[in-house]
Amino acid sequence: AAGAPKPLPSSGPKSLREMPHPLATSSSEEMGPALTPSPDLLLPRSIADKDLSLPNGTPVDTSSPASSSSLLNRLQLDDDLDGETRDLFVTVDDPKKHVCTMETYITYRVTTKTTRAEFDLPEYSVRRRYQDFDWLRNKLEESQPTHLIPPLPEKFVVKGVVDRFSEEFVETRRKALDKFLKRITDHPVLSFNEHFNVFLTAKDLNAYKKQGMALLSKMGESVKYVTGGYKLRSRPLEFAAIGEYLETFSLKLGTIDRIAQRIIKEQLEYLVELREYGPVYSTWGGLEVELSEPLEGVSACIGNCCTALEELSEDMTEDFLPVLREYILYSESMKNVLKKRDQVQAEYEAKLEAVALKKEDRPKVPTDVEKCQDRVECFNADLKADMERWQNNKRQDFRQLLMGMADKNIQYYEKCLTAWESIIPLLQDKPETK
Amino acid sequence: MEDCLAKKMEITVSEAEKRTGRNAMNMQETYTAYLIETRAVESQGEGQCAPMDSLWRRYSEFELLRNYLSVTYPHIVVPPLPEKRADFVWHKLSADNMDPDFVERRRIGLENFLLRVASHPVLCQDKIFYSFLTQEGGWKEMVNETGFQLKADSRLKALNATFRVKNPDKRFTELKHYSDELQSVISHLLRVRARVADRLYGVYKVHGNYGRVFRYAASIDDILEEEEHYADQLKEYLFYAEALRAVCRKHELMQYDLEMAAQDLTSKKQQCEELATGTVRTFSLKGMTSKLFGQETPEQREAKIKVLEEQIQEGEEQLKSKNLEGRDFVKSAWADIERFKEQKNHDLKEALISYAVMQISMCKKGIQVWTNAKECFSKM
Repeated sequence: AAGAPKPLPSSGPKSLREMPHPLATSSSEEMGPALTPSPDLLLPRSIADKDLSLPNGTPVDTSSPASSSSLLNRLQLDDDLDGETRDLFVTVDDPKKHVCTMETYITYRVTTKTTRAEFDLPEYSVRRRYQDFDWLRNKLEESQPTHLIPPLPEKFVVKGVVDRFSEEFVETRRKALDKFLKRITDHPVLSFNEHFNVFLTAKDLNAYKKQGMALLSKMGESVKYVTGGYKLRSRPLEFAAIGEYLETFSLKLGTIDRIAQRIIKEQLEYLVELREYGPVYSTWGGLEVELSEPLEGVSACIGNCCTALEELSEDMTEDFLPVLREYILYSESMKNVLKKRDQVQAEYEAKLEAVALKKEDRPKVPTDVEKCQDRVECFNADLKADMERWQNNKRQDFRQLLMGMADKNIQYYEKCLTAWESIIPLLQDKPETK
Repeated sequence: MEDCLAKKMEITVSEAEKRTGRNAMNMQETYTAYLIETRAVESQGEGQCAPMDSLWRRYSEFELLRNYLSVTYPHIVVPPLPEKRADFVWHKLSADNMDPDFVERRRIGLENFLLRVASHPVLCQDKIFYSFLTQEGGWKEMVNETGFQLKADSRLKALNATFRVKNPDKRFTELKHYSDELQSVISHLLRVRARVADRLYGVYKVHGNYGRVFRYAASIDDILEEEEHYADQLKEYLFYAEALRAVCRKHELMQYDLEMAAQDLTSKKQQCEELATGTVRTFSLKGMTSKLFGQETPEQREAKIKVLEEQIQEGEEQLKSKNLEGRDFVKSAWADIERFKEQKNHDLKEALISYAVMQISMCKKGIQVWTNAKECFSKM
């Protein structure tokens, strides 16, 4: 970008498609969303020649899709990814317990099916443990700091309260890990990340992890951002709006989480009483002659209601709560990304101010200030794209979550209804005269 | 049942009113008075209703009536009164006797009591009962004049009989056992039911925090009230168990009385025989003292024998009538017990059916609420 520094794109809630990419020329804007891009073809010569770098300082490698992140973001929004155009499928299943001398842990099978050129084989099957997922997430955060990385289920569990090896816990975790990988798979930039590739394919992940330092220099990844305490002048409206939204969203989630937990607690206390209630009818039935069958019937009916309630509470605990927790973690990590973005912008503004103060008549803005500006603009674009994707996903996820919860409750009432309706004829039965 | 009072007369306890007055110790007290309204049922509907009679009675008068009936008809399973104090409450209900909900349920219970008595083939014909319904002034005096309190068996006597009776009718022993178990199981049921209602209410209330779409906690109130009606139906039979016990106790008492009388007669006969033959078959203090201090004169002995013979004759007559009494009691008591059993089976079945219907309606409501919620969610 030659000439005076451009103002930051901060003109309010425009859709991403409407906004001109700061680095793009008009030719690239004509690309329709239907195209499956190969970067070399799409990048206009003008951009390819430019000295572009990613916000973390990596020189742009135009042969890798990751470099044209913003462009791809514009072209590959969620709606475009349906079953036919998808070329990468990842599943997490088959948890197994491993007992070693030093520790006991669980591994999960991670299966990959793909037609992408970045993968040597069309299919992979590896075993990974939570540590490995955690490593992957850290690596993604490091290497893709401008993007929103999906959250992992909580790392630590209070020993003694939760059984780490219980079927329910393992299954809940498996589902969350599966979701984590699927979200990365769906992401147009993250899914092409080198670490992700290795995670899915390497037989010996630990060896790769150790190589990590060597690879770091090879890939030129600089881990640290300059978070030198620069003060942000003015946050662009849209990011301020996102920030506010996340605050409100977090609060709401917290409230729903608390209410859900109270409901489960109350339901379980109700269940305790109900479990004592049913058998008393049975005891009574034992005393009676003519009333024996009806009372037994009522007892059995209440027993069925107990079972139905048990199932409902289990579903709430295993399906509903974890997703809420996940989104709470998600918004926390998103807030952090927003902070980083602020920092990058602050750095840029500070450097710009420093240059302006020098009052030198420079025809050209110094390169490091330019680099900062590019960083800011890339970050903003990536973040905006990810936010929109996140919003869509969130809407879908919550819709599914809440409808699922409604369904489970309806099922519960239907089971109870069936139980009570079936004993009415039993109660109305006239006994045969003996 | 054709000519029982309930068929001829409409009886309702239509109102309850708080009153203040002075009690026996001249201290001020607050109590509730209940309005009993009666109206004769016209056999040919001429379109014109008979005039309605009404009078006020308080709970203690109902108690007096019931005591009178229990003592006067010991072979009848007398319908119970609703509870004096609020028991088996859960947090939504008040334990206060003056609480309007409690008063209301008691009003219904008292009406139910009167209807039960009025539909009983024996009890409905009682004059005191009829006066209770129709005569405002002087009823208490009338009851006391019957002297029924004197006929009442002492508690101690009854307890004694329970422990010492040797040959009670097996059926009554079984029945007593049954009523004990029934009391125990219904008490347990009522206690747990109260806790269940409490917890369920808690669940609905928390759901209300989710927002308007789940705020069906308010409408749950009327369903939970129906649950209280179910509890009242169970309570009636809890108290009926006590009435059953009372009949069994009466039998035990009569049987014990009979056994004691027979024993007394046997010992008198033996004494007589001993005196007549001069042999002492059994050890008696009198016998020993007479041996120690000298024989009695033949005249003295003759006198004793005569007295004993009179007593024996009296005793035999008494025994005969007691036996008859006992047999009559067993017969009529058992007839009423059979009637009661049928009534119980019918009533409890009806209660269970209403309970099931209530549960069904709650389930349907739940389904409706969540279906609406699901629709809201689908529009997200």
